[in-house]
Amino acid sequence: MAFLAPLFLVGLAALAVPVLVHLIQRERKTPIEFPSLMFVRRIPYQSVQRRRITNWPLFLLRCAAIILIVFAFSRPFLTQTSVQAAIATSGAREVVILLDRSASMGYADTWQRAQAEAVRVIDGLGNGDQATLVLFDRNAEENVRATGDQTRLRAAVEAAELSSGATRYAPALRLAQSVLSRSTLGQKEVVAISDMQRTGWERPEEIQFPEGTTFTPVSVAPVDPKNISVTSVAFNRARFATEERITITAALTNRGPETVSGVPVTLQIDGIQTGSTQVTLPPGVATPVSFPAFTLSQAFARGVVKAGTDPLEADNAFNFVLSPTRPPPVLVVTRDGAGPMESLYLASGLSVGTPPAFQVETMPISKLNASALSRASVVVLSDVTVPGPLGPELRRFVERGGGILSILGSRSGSLDGEGTLLPGTLADPKDAPGGRFETLGVIDFSHEAFELFKTPNSGDFSSVRFFRFRPITPEPSDAVLARFADGTVAMVERKVAGGRVIAFGSTLDGDWNDLVLKPVFVPLLHQITRYLGQVETQPEWQTSGQVVDVTQRVAALTAGGSDQRVTSAVVLSPSGRRTTVGEGGAASSVDVNEQGFYEIRPQGGAASGRPFTLAVNLDAGESDLSAMDAQEFTAGATGRASLIASTVATEVRPEDTERRQSVWWFLLLVGFVLLVAESVLANRLSQKPVVSMPVARA
Amino acid sequence: MTGARFVDPTVLARIGNLDLIARHVVDGFINGLHRAPHFGASIDFAEHRGYVPGDDIRRLDWRLFARTDKFYLKQYEADTNTNFAVLLDISKSMSFAGEGRVSKIEYARYLAACMGYMAHRQRDRCGIVTFDEDIVSYVPPSAKHFDVMLHTLDRAEPVRPGRLRAPLEKIAEHFKRRSVVALISDLYEEPGEIMEAIKPYRHLGNDIMVFHVLDRAELEFPYRESSRFQDLETGEEIPVVPESLLKQYRELIQGHIESIRTKCSEIRVDYTVVDTSRPLDDALFSYMAHRERTMRVR
Repeated sequence: MAFLAPLFLVGLAALAVPVLVHLIQRERKTPIEFPSLMFVRRIPYQSVQRRRITNWPLFLLRCAAIILIVFAFSRPFLTQTSVQAAIATSGAREVVILLDRSASMGYADTWQRAQAEAVRVIDGLGNGDQATLVLFDRNAEENVRATGDQTRLRAAVEAAELSSGATRYAPALRLAQSVLSRSTLGQKEVVAISDMQRTGWERPEEIQFPEGTTFTPVSVAPVDPKNISVTSVAFNRARFATEERITITAALTNRGPETVSGVPVTLQIDGIQTGSTQVTLPPGVATPVSFPAFTLSQAFARGVVKAGTDPLEADNAFNFVLSPTRPPPVLVVTRDGAGPMESLYLASGLSVGTPPAFQVETMPISKLNASALSRASVVVLSDVTVPGPLGPELRRFVERGGGILSILGSRSGSLDGEGTLLPGTLADPKDAPGGRFETLGVIDFSHEAFELFKTPNSGDFSSVRFFRFRPITPEPSDAVLARFADGTVAMVERKVAGGRVIAFGSTLDGDWNDLVLKPVFVPLLHQITRYLGQVETQPEWQTSGQVVDVTQRVAALTAGGSDQRVTSAVVLSPSGRRTTVGEGGAASSVDVNEQGFYEIRPQGGAASGRPFTLAVNLDAGESDLSAMDAQEFTAGATGRASLIASTVATEVRPEDTERRQSVWWFLLLVGFVLLVAESVLANRLSQKPVVSMPVARA
Repeated sequence: MTGARFVDPTVLARIGNLDLIARHVVDGFINGLHRAPHFGASIDFAEHRGYVPGDDIRRLDWRLFARTDKFYLKQYEADTNTNFAVLLDISKSMSFAGEGRVSKIEYARYLAACMGYMAHRQRDRCGIVTFDEDIVSYVPPSAKHFDVMLHTLDRAEPVRPGRLRAPLEKIAEHFKRRSVVALISDLYEEPGEIMEAIKPYRHLGNDIMVFHVLDRAELEFPYRESSRFQDLETGEEIPVVPESLLKQYRELIQGHIESIRTKCSEIRVDYTVVDTSRPLDDALFSYMAHRERTMRVR
């Protein structure tokens, strides 16, 4: 118990009043006349201090009233310890068992020991107790909700399986908090069974268990764990004639305390071992291991790098998917008779990269036809006017998902003769005012084309000088991506069916501006071209727990297949679980939470070639088995370094606690009731017939 | 007036006239006795006994001699014309009165008046001595002094502190004729001192009755509040916590009474504790019983 205004306790000195009243009875002013004091004189005189309290009920009543009133003014409130102690003696328990099933629990027999601990907790449940089993890794789920059925709980624990997920404590603790806050049972307890991985803490979590909750961490962390893991793989692609050769370099980390020699490392591509070696891994250092280059001929080749044979096998393998790189074909169209200098910057800029980012083909406008358009994914029209017959072809090209980048110069005009492709209406070329230059004033960095330059120091567009430009007035439905400083539109986008058209209001030949000489030119050109070509970069692997958007892939499967009846796709997980996605053209995503390879096939249709494949690996943090001790874990979970925790009390101010409890009100009430009782009792005692003082009569 | 003897002393106090009080109390008391197995107050034949030389031949029963030819003497109850004297303590302590009760001196007046009246009715000679630390008034026993006795009782006022031995020794020499002496006092003296005061009367052949008049407050000490207590006679004040000495006080007062009772019985003195909260009959019975014994002459 604590007091909000402890100074009022000084008032307890008032207890002396009833003591004095009862001990120091006041003497009558007039003496009592007595016939003779010869007998009184013989009795030894007893001093005032040795008098005893005669009326104990009245005395205790007065003392109690004073104590209660003084306590009421001192504003007492029960601290968490008091509350916990008060409720710890009785009442059924609400126990939440947090069982860590993250990938790191697969180390040796850690998972079996964790299950045994959970069963032990379940066996300790008494009559009326309830338990909730929460299995957690990155996410937490209520496996068995608040039940006293121990058989069911035990079966759930035994049936639980390890996952490939990373360890995150916060979701589990929040779920426990939610379960306990709903509970009406007197005692609340959280038992966290985990290997206490330090990487499980992302940041200070705000967990507030109900007041009086007992938090018990149960550590099943292995002692001096030895773990070798493949943390990442890098790919070095090289073109050799028409083939692509790939050199794979894996990063291996030894998490154990000692150097490990002769660690076997192997590389498998599509189940065939293509490389192997032995390495020595010093502790705590990432060691690169390279394998001989190999030629990649097919898409979605499944690769696995394996290293070591330590107790945690899950992170000894690293999965990835490789496909031959195919640069998007880009068609650069110039005016007829244009010199090579006119398309130099464009062609060179698009071709830059190892391997080349785009497959660039340059041709004059007169040679542009449907056949050329069918080979390209993006067409760059550099200051040309599209002939009328070619307009519909261009429109169909765009509608099929193609992209057009229209570089507006003095010769530029309508793209399709109807004005449906060009985003806006062109005006005559305009020189910068005063014979000086114009700069870009507003850029929409949220657009995918400029997103690369969003962060500070990622690209300087302010230094680009525009001496001449072609104003364009966009339609309201068009998206303006950039404006000159005077407000004139510099870049605008129009989406037509499945394709995209972007118009740039100046040339890219170095005459009207100096953008082509600036560092931002090539990245910007690549970004715009990728955006227009809707180039999707598929990562070689995913991390367990991620959600992968496969909408486009599913759309390609359902629309591009030979069987038109295929309307959805099936996702096949590494464990063989099937999930149907993309029904009715809905957005599709796959929650990849199993280590291994996911396949996406058309529903009911025959797969042409290899299916689309996703490789999934463990979170790199799971390989770090360094554990926290129980006290540190408790502190992290509850904000207190003790086993019994109540985060409410630590975070709530004493004033709030006192106001919430309002004990003073009851104390004051009882105090006044006692005073009334004291008055009644004292009056009755005073009215009791006592022997009055005698009077002398003559 | 049947039942008057049971009248509460406080009721008697309202009458105010001692003569009237005595008549009412004693008449009722005597009437009550007629129905009780007690001796009567009349002069009557007692028994016969054989003549022995030296006996007064005037007491021979000649009629019995004529029938039996043997000498027998007739024995009668003794002559009742004796002296009755009241020794009344009128010291200041006798003025004490408990709550709702008559004072000790008042009670003593009633008692003395009643006994005087009874003696007067039996043609005894009545007298009274009032004293405190000295003799205040002396009315010698006489058949005509009943009214004077009542007057003296009426005038008696407790003013001064009292002593027993000096005044009683001083007046004892006046009791040369065998008398019945009733000492009415609260006896705040040491038992030995009291006996020393009584003994002279006993040695002179008087029959002594001691009436120890005490208020109930003196017997029970029923006080609660701590106070200063003042001695009525000396004026001395003592702070007293009644609770602390209640038990000891009661033991002391009872010890005092028992001590006096023992010593009185040793010298054949009738001793009666008179509680002023009770009717007068206890004291009167004591007197009558004593009178009965002394009246028998063998």
